[in-house]
Amino acid sequence: MPATQATAAPPTEKPDMQMAVSVRGLNKHYGAFHALKDIDLDVANGEIVIICGPSGSGKSSLIRCINHLEQHNSGTIHVNGLELTGKPARVMEVRRSLGMVFQNFNLFPHMTVLANCTFALRQALRMPQAEAEEVAREHLQQVNVLDQAAKYPGELSGGQQQRVAIARALCLKPRIMLFDEPTSALDPESVGSVLRIMEKLAATGITMICVTHEIGFARRVAHRCVFMERGEIVENAPTAQFFSNPDSPRLKAFLDQVL
Amino acid sequence: MHYDIALAWESLPTLLQGTLTTFIVLLPVLVLGLLISIPVALARLERGPGSLLAAAYIIFFRGVPSIVLLYLIYSGLPQFSVIRNTALWTLFSNAYFCAWVGLTLTHSGYMGEIVRGGLAAVPPGTIEAAQALGLGRMQILFKLRLPMAARYALRAYQNELLIMVKSTSAVSAITLVDLTAAANTVFDYTYDPFTPLVTAAGIYWVIINAMRYAFNVADSRLNRHLALK
Repeated sequence: MPATQATAAPPTEKPDMQMAVSVRGLNKHYGAFHALKDIDLDVANGEIVIICGPSGSGKSSLIRCINHLEQHNSGTIHVNGLELTGKPARVMEVRRSLGMVFQNFNLFPHMTVLANCTFALRQALRMPQAEAEEVAREHLQQVNVLDQAAKYPGELSGGQQQRVAIARALCLKPRIMLFDEPTSALDPESVGSVLRIMEKLAATGITMICVTHEIGFARRVAHRCVFMERGEIVENAPTAQFFSNPDSPRLKAFLDQVL
Repeated sequence: MHYDIALAWESLPTLLQGTLTTFIVLLPVLVLGLLISIPVALARLERGPGSLLAAAYIIFFRGVPSIVLLYLIYSGLPQFSVIRNTALWTLFSNAYFCAWVGLTLTHSGYMGEIVRGGLAAVPPGTIEAAQALGLGRMQILFKLRLPMAARYALRAYQNELLIMVKSTSAVSAITLVDLTAAANTVFDYTYDPFTPLVTAAGIYWVIINAMRYAFNVADSRLNRHLALK
Protein backbone atom coordinates (compact mmCIF):
# COMPACT_ATOMS: atom_id res chain seq x y z
CA MET A 1 0.00 0.00 0.00
CA PRO A 2 1.55 3.36 -0.90
CA ALA A 3 2.32 5.50 2.10
CA THR A 4 0.18 8.62 2.30
CA GLN A 5 0.49 11.90 4.13
CA ALA A 6 -2.42 11.81 6.56
CA THR A 7 -3.87 14.80 8.33
CA ALA A 8 -4.73 14.85 12.00
CA ALA A 9 -8.02 13.07 12.69
CA PRO A 10 -10.92 15.47 13.17
CA PRO A 11 -12.88 14.62 16.30
CA THR A 12 -15.90 12.52 15.33
CA GLU A 13 -18.61 10.78 17.25
CA LYS A 14 -18.34 7.45 15.49
CA PRO A 15 -14.96 5.71 15.07
CA ASP A 16 -13.99 5.28 11.41
CA MET A 17 -14.05 1.60 10.52
CA GLN A 18 -11.47 2.02 7.75
CA MET A 19 -8.83 3.01 10.24
CA ALA A 20 -6.18 0.54 11.35
CA VAL A 21 -6.49 1.75 14.94
CA SER A 22 -9.18 4.05 16.24
CA VAL A 23 -9.17 5.24 19.84
CA ARG A 24 -12.01 7.33 21.29
CA GLY A 25 -12.29 8.86 24.73
CA LEU A 26 -9.77 6.43 26.23
CA ASN A 27 -9.22 6.63 29.97
CA LYS A 28 -6.85 4.51 32.03
CA HIS A 29 -6.31 4.64 35.77
CA TYR A 30 -3.67 2.86 37.78
CA GLY A 31 -5.40 2.96 41.14
CA ALA A 32 -5.80 6.67 41.87
CA PHE A 33 -3.36 7.76 39.16
CA HIS A 34 -5.08 8.93 35.96
CA ALA A 35 -2.60 7.78 33.32
CA LEU A 36 -4.63 8.37 30.14
CA LYS A 37 -7.16 11.21 29.89
CA ASP A 38 -9.78 11.12 27.12
CA ILE A 39 -7.40 10.02 24.39
CA ASP A 40 -8.61 10.30 20.78
CA LEU A 41 -6.34 8.88 18.11
CA ASP A 42 -6.74 7.54 14.59
CA VAL A 43 -4.08 5.62 12.72
CA ALA A 44 -4.82 4.90 9.06
CA ASN A 45 -3.72 1.76 7.20
CA GLY A 46 -0.13 2.07 6.12
CA GLU A 47 0.46 5.09 8.32
CA ILE A 48 3.55 5.45 10.48
CA VAL A 49 2.86 7.29 13.69
CA ILE A 50 5.49 8.24 16.25
CA ILE A 51 4.42 8.98 19.80
CA CYS A 52 6.86 11.01 21.85
CA GLY A 53 6.86 12.92 25.08
CA PRO A 54 8.37 13.08 28.54
CA SER A 55 8.49 10.08 30.91
CA GLY A 56 5.21 9.26 32.57
CA SER A 57 3.16 10.90 29.85
CA GLY A 58 1.23 7.70 29.15
CA LYS A 59 2.85 6.78 25.82
CA SER A 60 3.55 3.17 26.81
CA SER A 61 0.20 2.86 28.55
CA LEU A 62 -1.53 3.90 25.34
CA ILE A 63 0.06 1.33 23.07
CA ARG A 64 -0.22 -1.35 25.75
CA CYS A 65 -3.96 -0.63 25.85
CA ILE A 66 -4.17 -1.12 22.10
CA ASN A 67 -3.18 -4.77 22.37
CA HIS A 68 -4.85 -5.20 25.75
CA LEU A 69 -1.73 -5.76 27.80
CA GLU A 70 -3.39 -3.08 29.88
CA GLN A 71 -7.15 -2.94 30.33
CA HIS A 72 -8.64 0.48 29.68
CA ASN A 73 -11.24 1.84 32.10
CA SER A 74 -13.46 3.74 29.66
CA GLY A 75 -13.59 4.71 26.03
CA THR A 76 -13.31 2.53 22.96
CA ILE A 77 -10.48 1.03 20.96
CA HIS A 78 -11.09 -0.33 17.47
CA VAL A 79 -8.43 -2.33 15.65
CA ASN A 80 -9.22 -3.00 11.97
CA GLY A 81 -12.86 -2.31 12.73
CA LEU A 82 -13.03 -4.76 15.66
CA GLU A 83 -13.85 -3.25 19.01
CA LEU A 84 -11.49 -4.25 21.78
CA THR A 85 -13.88 -5.40 24.49
CA GLY A 86 -12.49 -7.32 27.46
CA LYS A 87 -13.68 -10.67 26.13
CA PRO A 88 -10.81 -13.16 25.73
CA ALA A 89 -11.89 -14.34 22.27
CA ARG A 90 -12.03 -10.78 20.97
CA VAL A 91 -8.72 -9.90 22.60
CA MET A 92 -7.05 -12.88 20.90
CA GLU A 93 -8.59 -11.94 17.56
CA VAL A 94 -7.34 -8.36 17.86
CA ARG A 95 -3.87 -9.49 18.94
CA ARG A 96 -3.53 -11.58 15.79
CA SER A 97 -3.34 -8.45 13.67
CA LEU A 98 -0.93 -6.70 16.04
CA GLY A 99 2.76 -7.30 16.55
CA MET A 100 4.63 -5.82 19.47
CA VAL A 101 8.27 -5.07 20.13
CA PHE A 102 9.28 -4.29 23.71
CA GLN A 103 11.98 -2.08 25.18
CA ASN A 104 13.54 -5.06 26.96
CA PHE A 105 13.19 -7.41 23.96
CA ASN A 106 11.39 -10.09 26.05
CA LEU A 107 12.88 -12.99 24.13
CA PHE A 108 12.36 -16.45 25.59
CA PRO A 109 15.75 -17.09 27.21
CA HIS A 110 15.60 -20.87 27.24
CA MET A 111 14.88 -21.16 23.50
CA THR A 112 17.20 -20.64 20.56
CA VAL A 113 16.69 -17.66 18.28
CA LEU A 114 14.99 -19.91 15.74
CA ALA A 115 12.74 -21.48 18.39
CA ASN A 116 11.80 -18.01 19.63
CA CYS A 117 10.43 -17.27 16.17
CA THR A 118 8.74 -20.61 15.58
CA PHE A 119 7.16 -20.77 19.05
CA ALA A 120 4.09 -18.67 18.28
CA LEU A 121 3.75 -20.14 14.79
CA ARG A 122 3.56 -23.62 16.28
CA GLN A 123 1.41 -22.78 19.31
CA ALA A 124 -0.93 -20.03 18.13
CA LEU A 125 -1.17 -20.95 14.43
CA ARG A 126 -0.57 -24.69 14.77
CA MET A 127 1.92 -24.59 11.91
CA PRO A 128 3.98 -27.76 11.35
CA GLN A 129 7.61 -27.52 12.47
CA ALA A 130 9.22 -27.52 9.00
CA GLU A 131 6.96 -24.77 7.66
CA ALA A 132 7.40 -22.71 10.82
CA GLU A 133 11.18 -22.94 10.53
CA GLU A 134 11.04 -21.78 6.92
CA VAL A 135 8.96 -18.73 7.83
CA ALA A 136 11.25 -18.01 10.78
CA ARG A 137 14.43 -18.23 8.71
CA GLU A 138 12.96 -15.91 6.10
CA HIS A 139 12.24 -13.22 8.67
CA LEU A 140 15.53 -13.71 10.51
CA GLN A 141 17.25 -13.19 7.17
CA GLN A 142 15.34 -9.96 6.63
CA VAL A 143 16.65 -8.54 9.92
CA ASN A 144 20.17 -9.85 9.28
CA VAL A 145 20.44 -12.31 12.16
CA LEU A 146 19.95 -15.61 10.34
CA ASP A 147 23.52 -16.64 11.16
CA GLN A 148 22.58 -16.51 14.88
CA ALA A 149 19.62 -18.87 14.49
CA ALA A 150 21.07 -21.67 16.62
CA LYS A 151 22.24 -19.41 19.42
CA TYR A 152 20.46 -18.50 22.63
CA PRO A 153 19.38 -14.90 23.33
CA GLY A 154 21.94 -14.62 26.13
CA GLU A 155 24.72 -15.02 23.58
CA LEU A 156 23.54 -12.12 21.44
CA SER A 157 24.15 -8.40 21.73
CA GLY A 158 21.25 -6.09 22.55
CA GLY A 159 20.86 -4.93 18.98
CA GLN A 160 20.78 -8.50 17.72
CA GLN A 161 18.26 -9.49 20.36
CA GLN A 162 15.95 -6.64 19.43
CA ARG A 163 16.17 -7.56 15.77
CA VAL A 164 15.24 -11.13 16.69
CA ALA A 165 12.29 -9.70 18.62
CA ILE A 166 11.21 -7.78 15.54
CA ALA A 167 11.53 -10.90 13.38
CA ARG A 168 9.59 -12.91 15.96
CA ALA A 169 6.70 -10.44 15.78
CA LEU A 170 6.82 -10.25 11.98
CA CYS A 171 6.60 -14.04 11.60
CA LEU A 172 2.93 -13.80 12.57
CA LYS A 173 2.42 -11.39 9.65
CA PRO A 174 0.67 -8.67 11.66
CA ARG A 175 -1.00 -5.76 9.89
CA ILE A 176 0.02 -3.30 12.58
CA MET A 177 3.32 -3.17 14.44
CA LEU A 178 3.58 -1.59 17.88
CA PHE A 179 6.97 -0.50 19.18
CA ASP A 180 7.44 0.44 22.84
CA GLU A 181 10.73 2.36 23.01
CA PRO A 182 12.54 -0.30 20.96
CA THR A 183 15.96 1.32 21.14
CA SER A 184 15.91 2.83 24.63
CA ALA A 185 17.80 -0.09 26.16
CA LEU A 186 20.48 -0.22 23.46
CA ASP A 187 23.94 1.26 23.16
CA PRO A 188 24.29 3.92 20.44
CA GLU A 189 25.86 1.61 17.86
CA SER A 190 23.11 -1.00 18.17
CA VAL A 191 20.45 1.71 17.98
CA GLY A 192 21.47 2.33 14.37
CA SER A 193 21.18 -1.31 13.33
CA VAL A 194 17.69 -1.60 14.79
CA LEU A 195 16.47 1.69 13.33
CA ARG A 196 17.71 0.63 9.91
CA ILE A 197 15.56 -2.50 10.12
CA MET A 198 12.59 -0.42 11.26
CA GLU A 199 13.05 1.96 8.31
CA LYS A 200 13.22 -1.03 5.97
CA LEU A 201 10.01 -2.26 7.53
CA ALA A 202 8.35 1.13 7.22
CA ALA A 203 9.02 1.13 3.49
CA THR A 204 6.91 -2.02 3.07
CA GLY A 205 3.73 -0.09 3.84
CA ILE A 206 2.92 -1.78 7.14
CA THR A 207 1.11 0.30 9.77
CA MET A 208 3.47 1.26 12.59
CA ILE A 209 2.84 2.96 15.92
CA CYS A 210 6.12 3.67 17.60
CA VAL A 211 6.87 5.16 21.00
CA THR A 212 10.40 6.46 20.75
CA HIS A 213 12.82 9.19 21.69
CA GLU A 214 14.67 8.87 18.37
CA ILE A 215 13.68 12.20 16.84
CA GLY A 216 15.88 11.77 13.78
CA PHE A 217 14.17 8.49 13.01
CA ALA A 218 10.79 10.17 13.47
CA ARG A 219 11.64 12.92 11.01
CA ARG A 220 12.88 10.46 8.39
CA VAL A 221 10.15 7.88 8.57
CA ALA A 222 6.97 9.05 10.29
CA HIS A 223 3.90 10.33 8.51
CA ARG A 224 2.54 11.80 11.70
CA CYS A 225 3.86 12.59 15.14
CA VAL A 226 1.94 12.70 18.36
CA PHE A 227 3.16 14.53 21.45
CA MET A 228 1.84 13.36 24.82
CA GLU A 229 2.26 14.90 28.20
CA ARG A 230 0.70 13.93 31.54
CA GLY A 231 -1.80 11.52 29.99
CA GLU A 232 -3.06 13.82 27.25
CA ILE A 233 -2.36 14.18 23.54
CA VAL A 234 -1.06 17.72 23.31
CA GLU A 235 -0.38 17.77 19.59
CA ASN A 236 -1.05 15.41 16.70
CA ALA A 237 0.30 16.65 13.35
CA PRO A 238 2.00 15.60 10.10
CA THR A 239 5.74 15.24 10.63
CA ALA A 240 6.87 18.30 8.74
CA GLN A 241 4.47 20.58 10.54
CA PHE A 242 5.18 18.90 13.89
CA PHE A 243 8.86 19.77 13.80
CA SER A 244 9.00 23.00 11.83
CA ASN A 245 5.85 24.69 13.04
CA PRO A 246 4.68 23.23 16.36
CA ASP A 247 1.38 24.64 17.57
CA SER A 248 1.49 24.23 21.31
CA PRO A 249 4.03 25.93 23.57
CA ARG A 250 4.57 22.68 25.49
CA LEU A 251 5.64 20.90 22.31
CA LYS A 252 7.88 23.84 21.42
CA ALA A 253 9.54 23.56 24.81
CA PHE A 254 9.96 19.77 24.44
CA LEU A 255 11.50 20.09 20.97
CA ASP A 256 13.83 22.82 22.18
CA GLN A 257 15.09 20.41 24.81
CA VAL A 258 15.64 17.40 22.57
CA LEU A 259 16.84 19.06 19.38
CA MET B 1 31.70 -52.37 66.29
CA HIS B 2 32.89 -53.72 63.02
CA TYR B 3 31.34 -54.26 59.65
CA ASP B 4 30.38 -57.88 59.13
CA ILE B 5 30.69 -58.36 55.36
CA ALA B 6 29.31 -61.88 55.44
CA LEU B 7 26.22 -60.72 57.24
CA ALA B 8 25.87 -57.76 54.89
CA TRP B 9 25.89 -60.09 51.90
CA GLU B 10 23.47 -62.52 53.53
CA SER B 11 21.02 -59.82 54.50
CA LEU B 12 21.19 -58.04 51.14
CA PRO B 13 18.05 -59.71 49.71
CA THR B 14 16.08 -58.55 52.74
CA LEU B 15 17.42 -55.05 52.38
CA LEU B 16 16.71 -54.98 48.66
CA GLN B 17 13.17 -56.16 49.34
CA GLY B 18 12.88 -53.20 51.69
CA THR B 19 14.27 -50.94 48.98
CA LEU B 20 11.55 -52.12 46.62
CA THR B 21 8.93 -51.15 49.21
CA THR B 22 10.61 -47.76 49.53
CA PHE B 23 10.20 -47.20 45.80
CA ILE B 24 6.62 -48.50 45.77
CA VAL B 25 5.84 -45.86 48.38
CA LEU B 26 7.99 -43.12 46.82
CA LEU B 27 7.07 -43.07 43.13
CA PRO B 28 3.29 -42.48 43.33
CA VAL B 29 3.97 -39.85 46.00
CA LEU B 30 6.30 -37.96 43.65
CA VAL B 31 3.85 -38.05 40.74
CA LEU B 32 0.76 -37.11 42.77
CA GLY B 33 2.66 -34.55 44.83
CA LEU B 34 3.82 -32.75 41.70
CA LEU B 35 0.37 -32.85 40.09
CA ILE B 36 -1.32 -31.45 43.20
CA SER B 37 1.33 -28.78 43.73
CA ILE B 38 0.70 -27.09 40.38
CA PRO B 39 -2.87 -25.90 41.09
CA VAL B 40 -1.83 -25.12 44.67
CA ALA B 41 1.02 -22.94 43.39
CA LEU B 42 -1.19 -21.27 40.81
CA ALA B 43 -3.76 -20.51 43.50
CA ARG B 44 -1.03 -18.98 45.65
CA LEU B 45 -0.09 -16.63 42.84
CA GLU B 46 -3.61 -15.28 42.57
CA ARG B 47 -5.38 -13.13 45.11
CA GLY B 48 -8.48 -13.98 47.08
CA PRO B 49 -9.91 -17.00 48.91
CA GLY B 50 -8.19 -19.58 46.69
CA SER B 51 -4.84 -18.09 47.58
CA LEU B 52 -5.60 -18.22 51.31
CA LEU B 53 -6.76 -21.81 51.04
CA ALA B 54 -3.58 -22.78 49.22
CA ALA B 55 -1.49 -20.93 51.79
CA ALA B 56 -3.26 -22.79 54.61
CA TYR B 57 -2.67 -26.09 52.83
CA ILE B 58 1.04 -25.36 52.45
CA ILE B 59 1.45 -24.08 56.01
CA PHE B 60 -0.35 -27.06 57.52
CA PHE B 61 1.33 -29.85 55.60
CA ARG B 62 4.78 -28.36 55.91
CA GLY B 63 4.25 -27.91 59.64
CA VAL B 64 3.05 -31.40 60.52
CA PRO B 65 5.82 -33.99 60.68
CA SER B 66 5.18 -36.73 58.13
CA ILE B 67 5.39 -39.49 60.74
CA VAL B 68 2.71 -37.81 62.84
CA LEU B 69 0.53 -37.43 59.77
CA LEU B 70 1.00 -41.11 58.94
CA TYR B 71 -0.04 -42.13 62.47
CA LEU B 72 -3.08 -39.85 62.27
CA ILE B 73 -4.19 -41.36 58.98
CA TYR B 74 -3.40 -44.99 59.74
CA SER B 75 -4.39 -45.19 63.42
CA GLY B 76 -6.46 -42.08 63.93
CA LEU B 77 -8.90 -42.11 61.01
CA PRO B 78 -10.32 -45.59 61.81
CA GLN B 79 -11.84 -44.05 64.95
CA PHE B 80 -14.36 -42.29 62.72
CA SER B 81 -17.27 -44.51 61.70
CA VAL B 82 -17.46 -42.86 58.30
CA ILE B 83 -14.08 -44.43 57.60
CA ARG B 84 -14.58 -47.70 59.44
CA ASN B 85 -18.03 -48.65 58.23
CA THR B 86 -18.02 -47.62 54.59
CA ALA B 87 -16.22 -48.47 51.36
CA LEU B 88 -13.48 -46.09 52.46
CA TRP B 89 -12.31 -48.80 54.86
CA THR B 90 -10.94 -50.92 52.01
CA LEU B 91 -8.66 -47.99 51.22
CA PHE B 92 -7.72 -46.70 54.65
CA SER B 93 -7.11 -50.10 56.20
CA ASN B 94 -4.34 -50.58 53.67
CA ALA B 95 -1.01 -49.32 54.98
CA TYR B 96 0.26 -48.53 51.48
CA PHE B 97 -2.75 -46.32 50.79
CA CYS B 98 -2.23 -44.47 54.07
CA ALA B 99 1.45 -44.04 53.25
CA TRP B 100 0.66 -42.66 49.80
CA VAL B 101 -1.92 -40.23 51.17
CA GLY B 102 0.20 -39.04 54.08
CA LEU B 103 3.46 -38.58 52.20
CA THR B 104 1.71 -37.01 49.19
CA LEU B 105 0.13 -34.40 51.46
CA THR B 106 3.52 -33.59 52.99
CA HIS B 107 5.38 -33.60 49.68
CA SER B 108 2.77 -31.47 47.91
CA GLY B 109 2.98 -28.91 50.71
CA TYR B 110 6.68 -28.39 50.07
CA MET B 111 6.26 -28.69 46.30
CA GLY B 112 3.56 -26.00 46.35
CA GLU B 113 6.14 -23.48 47.50
CA ILE B 114 8.81 -24.77 45.11
CA VAL B 115 6.53 -24.57 42.08
CA ARG B 116 5.26 -21.16 43.19
CA GLY B 117 8.82 -19.91 43.44
CA GLY B 118 9.60 -21.24 39.98
CA LEU B 119 6.51 -19.64 38.46
CA ALA B 120 7.17 -16.32 40.20
CA ALA B 121 10.68 -16.28 38.74
CA VAL B 122 9.39 -16.26 35.15
CA PRO B 123 10.05 -12.73 33.84
CA PRO B 124 6.64 -11.07 33.34
CA GLY B 125 7.92 -9.53 30.11
CA THR B 126 8.21 -12.94 28.48
CA ILE B 127 4.61 -13.69 29.42
CA GLU B 128 3.55 -10.36 27.87
CA ALA B 129 5.49 -11.21 24.73
CA ALA B 130 3.62 -14.51 24.47
CA GLN B 131 0.31 -12.71 25.02
CA ALA B 132 1.20 -10.16 22.33
CA LEU B 133 2.02 -13.06 19.98
CA GLY B 134 -1.55 -14.29 20.39
CA LEU B 135 -1.15 -17.27 22.70
CA GLY B 136 -4.01 -18.17 25.04
CA ARG B 137 -3.78 -18.49 28.83
CA MET B 138 -3.55 -22.27 28.90
CA GLN B 139 -0.97 -22.32 26.11
CA ILE B 140 1.11 -19.76 27.95
CA LEU B 141 0.85 -21.77 31.17
CA PHE B 142 1.82 -25.16 29.74
CA LYS B 143 4.15 -24.15 26.93
CA LEU B 144 5.97 -21.22 28.50
CA ARG B 145 5.44 -20.63 32.22
CA LEU B 146 5.72 -24.20 33.48
CA PRO B 147 8.74 -25.07 31.27
CA MET B 148 10.51 -21.91 32.46
CA ALA B 149 9.44 -22.49 36.07
CA ALA B 150 10.86 -26.02 35.90
CA ARG B 151 14.24 -24.62 34.91
CA TYR B 152 14.27 -22.09 37.73
CA ALA B 153 13.02 -24.59 40.32
CA LEU B 154 15.11 -27.57 39.23
CA ARG B 155 17.69 -27.48 42.02
CA ALA B 156 15.08 -26.73 44.67
CA TYR B 157 13.13 -29.72 43.37
CA GLN B 158 16.23 -31.86 43.54
CA ASN B 159 16.65 -30.87 47.19
CA GLU B 160 13.09 -31.82 48.03
CA LEU B 161 13.39 -35.13 46.18
CA LEU B 162 16.55 -36.17 47.98
CA ILE B 163 14.94 -35.37 51.33
CA MET B 164 11.75 -37.21 50.33
CA VAL B 165 13.66 -40.41 49.57
CA LYS B 166 14.85 -40.48 53.14
CA SER B 167 11.51 -39.32 54.57
CA THR B 168 9.94 -42.52 53.28
CA SER B 169 11.52 -44.27 56.26
CA ALA B 170 8.66 -42.88 58.32
CA VAL B 171 6.37 -45.54 56.84
CA SER B 172 8.07 -48.12 59.04
CA ALA B 173 5.87 -46.67 61.78
CA ILE B 174 2.74 -47.87 60.02
CA THR B 175 3.79 -51.50 59.42
CA LEU B 176 5.41 -51.12 56.02
CA VAL B 177 8.80 -52.78 55.73
CA ASP B 178 10.85 -50.24 53.84
CA LEU B 179 14.65 -50.20 53.66
CA THR B 180 15.08 -48.78 57.17
CA ALA B 181 12.59 -51.23 58.66
CA ALA B 182 14.27 -54.10 56.83
CA ALA B 183 17.63 -53.09 58.31
CA ASN B 184 16.01 -52.99 61.73
CA THR B 185 14.57 -56.49 61.35
CA VAL B 186 18.06 -57.77 60.52
CA PHE B 187 19.24 -56.04 63.68
CA ASP B 188 16.41 -57.68 65.64
CA TYR B 189 17.46 -61.15 64.46
CA THR B 190 21.26 -60.77 64.65
CA TYR B 191 21.77 -58.22 67.45
CA ASP B 192 24.18 -56.43 65.12
CA PRO B 193 22.92 -52.89 64.58
CA PHE B 194 25.96 -51.59 62.81
CA THR B 195 26.21 -53.80 59.74
CA PRO B 196 22.62 -53.71 58.47
CA LEU B 197 22.10 -50.01 59.19
CA VAL B 198 25.36 -49.01 57.54
CA THR B 199 24.47 -51.20 54.56
CA ALA B 200 21.05 -49.57 54.40
CA ALA B 201 22.72 -46.18 54.57
CA GLY B 202 24.94 -47.28 51.70
CA ILE B 203 21.92 -48.24 49.62
CA TYR B 204 20.25 -44.88 50.31
CA TRP B 205 23.53 -43.23 49.34
CA VAL B 206 23.58 -45.03 45.99
CA ILE B 207 19.96 -44.02 45.29
CA ILE B 208 20.65 -40.40 46.22
CA ASN B 209 23.72 -40.21 44.04
CA ALA B 210 21.94 -41.77 41.09
CA MET B 211 19.32 -39.03 41.46
CA ARG B 212 22.00 -36.37 41.73
CA TYR B 213 23.56 -37.60 38.51
CA ALA B 214 20.18 -37.57 36.76
CA PHE B 215 19.54 -34.01 37.91
CA ASN B 216 22.95 -32.87 36.71
CA VAL B 217 22.16 -34.29 33.28
CA ALA B 218 18.74 -32.62 33.32
CA ASP B 219 20.24 -29.31 34.41
CA SER B 220 22.91 -29.32 31.73
CA ARG B 221 20.27 -29.95 29.08
CA LEU B 222 17.46 -27.69 30.31
CA ASN B 223 19.73 -24.85 31.33
CA ARG B 224 22.05 -25.01 28.35
CA HIS B 225 21.22 -21.37 27.65
CA LEU B 226 22.93 -20.33 30.87
CA ALA B 227 26.15 -22.22 30.35
CA LEU B 228 27.26 -20.41 27.23
CA LYS B 229 28.83 -17.00 26.47
